[in-house]
Amino acid sequence: MRERVLVAMSGGVDSSVAAALLVRQGYDVVGATMKLFCHGDDVPDRPCCSLDSVNDARRICEQLGIPHYVLNLESAFGRDVVHDFVDEYARGRTPIPCVRCNTFTKFRDLVRRADAMDARWIATGHYARVLDGALHRGLDPTKDQSYFLWGIDRRVLSRMLLPVGAQTKAETRTVAHQLGLELIAEKRESQDICFVPDGDHTRVIARTLGADTPSLAHGPIMLRDGTVVGEHAGYARFTVGQRRGLPGGFPEPMFVVAIEPSTRAVVIGPRSELLGRGAVVREVNWLVDPAPVAGDEVRVQIRHRSRAVAGTLVRVSSSEHEVEVALEEPASAISPGQSCVFYDGERVLGGGVIERGRRELPVRAA
Amino acid sequence: MPEPVYFDHAATTPVREEVFAAMQPFFGPRFGNPSSMHRWGREARTALDEARERLGRCLGASPDEIVFTSCGTEADNMALIGVWRARRGEGSRNAAVSTPIEHKAVLGALHEIAKEGGEERLLMVDSAGRVDASSFDALVRDDTAVCSVMWVNNELGTLQDVQTMAERARSRGVVFHTDAVQAFGKVDIDARRTPFDLLSISGHKIGAPKGIGALFIRRGTPMEPLLFGGSQDRGRRPGTENVAMAVGLARAAELAVAERDEECRRLQALRDRLESTILARVPDAVIHGREAARAPHISNISVPGTESESMLIALDLRGVACSAGSACQSGSITPSHVLEAIGVSTDVAKAAIRFSLGALSTEAGVDRVAEVFPMLAEKARRLATA
Repeated sequence: MRERVLVAMSGGVDSSVAAALLVRQGYDVVGATMKLFCHGDDVPDRPCCSLDSVNDARRICEQLGIPHYVLNLESAFGRDVVHDFVDEYARGRTPIPCVRCNTFTKFRDLVRRADAMDARWIATGHYARVLDGALHRGLDPTKDQSYFLWGIDRRVLSRMLLPVGAQTKAETRTVAHQLGLELIAEKRESQDICFVPDGDHTRVIARTLGADTPSLAHGPIMLRDGTVVGEHAGYARFTVGQRRGLPGGFPEPMFVVAIEPSTRAVVIGPRSELLGRGAVVREVNWLVDPAPVAGDEVRVQIRHRSRAVAGTLVRVSSSEHEVEVALEEPASAISPGQSCVFYDGERVLGGGVIERGRRELPVRAA
Repeated sequence: MPEPVYFDHAATTPVREEVFAAMQPFFGPRFGNPSSMHRWGREARTALDEARERLGRCLGASPDEIVFTSCGTEADNMALIGVWRARRGEGSRNAAVSTPIEHKAVLGALHEIAKEGGEERLLMVDSAGRVDASSFDALVRDDTAVCSVMWVNNELGTLQDVQTMAERARSRGVVFHTDAVQAFGKVDIDARRTPFDLLSISGHKIGAPKGIGALFIRRGTPMEPLLFGGSQDRGRRPGTENVAMAVGLARAAELAVAERDEECRRLQALRDRLESTILARVPDAVIHGREAARAPHISNISVPGTESESMLIALDLRGVACSAGSACQSGSITPSHVLEAIGVSTDVAKAAIRFSLGALSTEAGVDRVAEVFPMLAEKARRLATA
């Protein structure tokens, strides 16, 4: 009996090729597109529920001769991902909804759907690899998506298939052509957050919390010492490390170095003030067993597309899922809300959400 | 996997062999346009005239009271919007009345009327979907242009008292329409006995192809066309007639009427077997609308603690085809507006599965469903609590 695999299909090239490769490998493949949100008439070019993506995914499945279903995960996604996204901005942080979507939607809710379908496996088009039951970076360093996967339940790893993780994006496109998936082979990669189709996340915030919500209200732009140097139209428009939209006239380039929701202040400073030597990380999840302990040396990545740097876990609280990490070299723009992911070489140890950066080098308690 | 079984006849039915055979000449040598005066045209015209007569006989109607449409939706739209627009001139009849459990083809037409300035009213229904008589009296008045109540509900199978409602509507000067898409072939329909003014049917629910429907329009009913162009069908429905499909619909209708009593007995026995076996295996399963008189081919069942979307997929993967609620554009399942309207709680409505029986239903198929469905429901509950 062929083993069944449920493939999450977005209509893009990566998940389409993933499904095609699994068919070729002899699995009993079931395709599914998750309906995660509905814009209604808000976004004229994209009718209700990203219909075009659903249609593309369905066409690919028809071409592959496999069933395709649309799964309505809208209410759970709204709760776990969209509301958290909005709340994080309200708290002056910069969330990564894709991380929570992987944690809660793809590798929890979708796994439950897989159970209901008697699917032994669950597959996606992520550029990451599962080797010997451990999550690893994707083979293509420019496409690696392991950074977004730290939050998933470790027990799911033994059921995950990531067929494109062992190839480069160029290879994926080549395979798409070879398999005759011309519909999506050259499809452009979307850089947007799926539920923010026009790239303006403040519209989602306004729609959810109201246009008069504090994070979208005017507030001061100030220096560390409290000197007000300008005004902004909502701190949710800013992220730590951002330069765009700040007043000029300073001797050196200025950056957002902190956001303070209580006063609605956006604090700016020169590049030197952005540098940090450590971070407090919360909601920590480990993908290895036994979990790392204080004193362990790890590689630390504090944002997507940045290099992992050497660091040491100086405090590990398993009960509070909190970690404090010291960085061997200063890192720029350690942004609250972003993910801090711990690696051992290519292997993902785990990760968490950055609570705050530390300008001084944290030291291990005696 | 054993041979898949089809329990979705309320969605569509296979084209019957007799129907296919009746249509074939019109895809071949008898291809003419019925509006042409030459021999090819005459041949097509003859077939169309006969189809109209034959379908009329099935409904107790005269041939001139039959309009062929492209589908049930078009028939419903024409009935409501056509009548409402035609009566606008009377000045005092601005309301259009229907029920909250209608097919979207009627509800959509009602919304369109509201957009054009009409007043949209919905009758109250009880927990089985039957129209509340006092609500009917309160809302269907001398300010009402048209009232539409479906004969058999497509999700529940519930039968309405069309006889009484049609009579009352007539006594108040209200044009009465009934969507009989699910009723035709299951209910004895006779326009001479029941004073409805308009009645819609759809071909593909009774063994004719998709793409053909019909609207009965009683003589004298005010009606504006929805399409404009030629003079086909007395200008009520311009556009070259679909001769082959009209012939197919007439043939399917004749067969359905001739076989009605026997087929209803057969389907009811199968449905009762399905429901009693499922209830024996899942005692807390809820069968919606069961307390009302129902058409014999529809059974709508919720197992609390399950979700229809997952259940439908699991059933499909095991070769059991059925349906639930209505699908949005993307194909994802949204809870049924019908179950909501009859007061079913959201949790239970979210679990609803509709099995609908018909030509392809057999005892063996029923037994298969009665085994697979409880097993999957049990599993879904186990997963939900895990």
